[in-house]
Amino acid sequence: MNEAFRNARSFAERLSALGLGAGGGSVQISLAILALIALLCLFGPLVSSHAYDRVYRDYVLAEPSLSAHPDAAEVALAIETIARRMPARIEALRVDGDSLHATLFSDRPIDARALRAFERSDVFSAPRIVETQDGGRRMRIDAPLKRTVFLFGTDANGRDLLTRTLIAGRASLAVGLLASMVALFIGVAYGAIAGYAGGRVDAAMMRIVEIIYALPFIFFVIVLVMAFGRHFALIFIAIGAVEWLDMARIVRGQTLSIKRRDYVVAAQALGATAPAIIWRHILPNAAGPIVAYLTLLVPQVILLESFVSFLGLGVQEPLTSWGVLIADGARNIQGAAYLLVFPAIFLGATLGALQSLGAGLLRRFDAKSD
Amino acid sequence: MLRHALARIGAAIPTLLIIVALAFFLMRLAPGGPFDSERALDPDIARNLRRIYRLDLPLIQQFWLYLQSLLRGDFGPSFHWRDFSVNELFAKALPISMQLGAEALLLGLIAGGALGIAGAASQRGIGAALVDGVALFGIVLPAFVVAPLLQLFFGLTLHALPVGGWSDGAWKNQVLPVATLALPQIAVVAGLMQAGMRDALAMPHIRTLRAFGLPAWHINAHALRAAILPVLSYLGLAAANVLTGSVVVETIFGIPGMGRYFVDGALGRDYTLVMGAVVIVAGLVVGFNLLVDLAYAWLDPRVRHE
Repeated sequence: MNEAFRNARSFAERLSALGLGAGGGSVQISLAILALIALLCLFGPLVSSHAYDRVYRDYVLAEPSLSAHPDAAEVALAIETIARRMPARIEALRVDGDSLHATLFSDRPIDARALRAFERSDVFSAPRIVETQDGGRRMRIDAPLKRTVFLFGTDANGRDLLTRTLIAGRASLAVGLLASMVALFIGVAYGAIAGYAGGRVDAAMMRIVEIIYALPFIFFVIVLVMAFGRHFALIFIAIGAVEWLDMARIVRGQTLSIKRRDYVVAAQALGATAPAIIWRHILPNAAGPIVAYLTLLVPQVILLESFVSFLGLGVQEPLTSWGVLIADGARNIQGAAYLLVFPAIFLGATLGALQSLGAGLLRRFDAKSD
Repeated sequence: MLRHALARIGAAIPTLLIIVALAFFLMRLAPGGPFDSERALDPDIARNLRRIYRLDLPLIQQFWLYLQSLLRGDFGPSFHWRDFSVNELFAKALPISMQLGAEALLLGLIAGGALGIAGAASQRGIGAALVDGVALFGIVLPAFVVAPLLQLFFGLTLHALPVGGWSDGAWKNQVLPVATLALPQIAVVAGLMQAGMRDALAMPHIRTLRAFGLPAWHINAHALRAAILPVLSYLGLAAANVLTGSVVVETIFGIPGMGRYFVDGALGRDYTLVMGAVVIVAGLVVGFNLLVDLAYAWLDPRVRHE
């Protein structure tokens, strides 16, 4: 089995180097895309006029649009809802510019306190009573409209999708980076030890890696998430714990070839200890490929996190990640495809950019080390 | 050849055993049990339940019992689906998943292989660009994005294919799930095939053939034998990927296959069900790798004599 696995892996890696990122500018372009997405996700929610968990009851499943809400139909719907609660009838209704002029009529005198419903709605600000007639049974009011823009629309709970997509990006990127760090740490330590020790230790350690390869990954993650609980900080440990295998293999390979170099032999002759040699000589010289594979690891981790979240095992509400949003979009595909499309574009762009960045780096370091 | 085969089979058995043990103990480490519910059970009932399902024995003894029943081909009773044994559940679900997976793999091989050969033939042309494009799509669009988009386009907009369900394997119900599963495989196989063909076509013996003035298809056929090796060794991983992907695909398309049992079972702490799924999936992956290994040795004499 080991032969096939090793070949498959190395060829899969070669594929990623070959398939993508042709052309000299690809590294710069993917870096630019990544930087843009990262900046958007980091600072976008701070700038955005919507909080990611703010629910707009009057704008459930609003379509994405550039123009501000509310439109005429939404105003009419909102005032009808408010009037029905009061209860009152709408006698006249006129929207001009940024305010609504309405005349309400009821069988009993209208209590001014009932007008608070206006303030609570997402459509109007506090209304002004222009005049009351018929002993308070007829009331003319002016209510300013609240203008809100939902660039990406809103979800089934009436939350702004743009802000949620950016917040989700934070979670996905954070999990991607942290889990990759966990994988990097385990993988580098494991690979360096196996490669440097060599012989039987190496064979046994690599045999373990092969066994874990054959374990169905998704089961592994599910069980780990179950064991750790659905805590956000622990998801990346679970993912990191299954994604270190490639890194271990690569570091081992690098270590095997570097440890025969003259400067390592010289260090050994001078009596340097094994940890010191690994730290001072082997890892710095293997840094190039390690960084390249790390870049290829991040998209895999993000994908796995999305996958776990898609199954409902990952990041929990009201926090969100791209996988959660995509799962949400998949459920609403019939009425609101944009719920799927926008998070998918962000996820796809990130994955693609990371992948071609990693491929580009890999090619550079490969050319150097050969 | 026979010795090579025996050695490989000998190595596969302990691998399987370790996977089973790992899964068994990991599963038990997770907090919570199969009989947890909103309301606490009466302690007597809980004790009886645990005794009937033999959860009161020491863990190592449970593992031993489980191994014994596995050897008899018995996966035990399901904890969640109280009236069914795991065998009965799998008897229905496994053929469906296997059919889906096999079709997706086959499609991935044929379509990806054809694309890759075409890409290698036109070094800088449309073919190569197409392969790059497909490879990018396979990576950028994961199954859980592709599946709903396919549903939207072919199911809800065109009304050409059903959005979900299995209806006993009618071909119309299979098109979208198989396409979703196959897309990433097509991407990878196309890339591998293209790279392999490019390398193979540059080899000295191919140049000799070309110097003889043989027709292009004949040269390609010779190059194919070398170029197919990386694809072949990828197949083991592909099988594992398809099995993982089927979890998503079966959930989205509402197909009663193994993938659904996998997730539901893990969430409900249905120990036997999840263990059964792990054993079968791991068995399939290990078995498939074994086959690939043997085929590899048969195609490439260098491996055999190593």
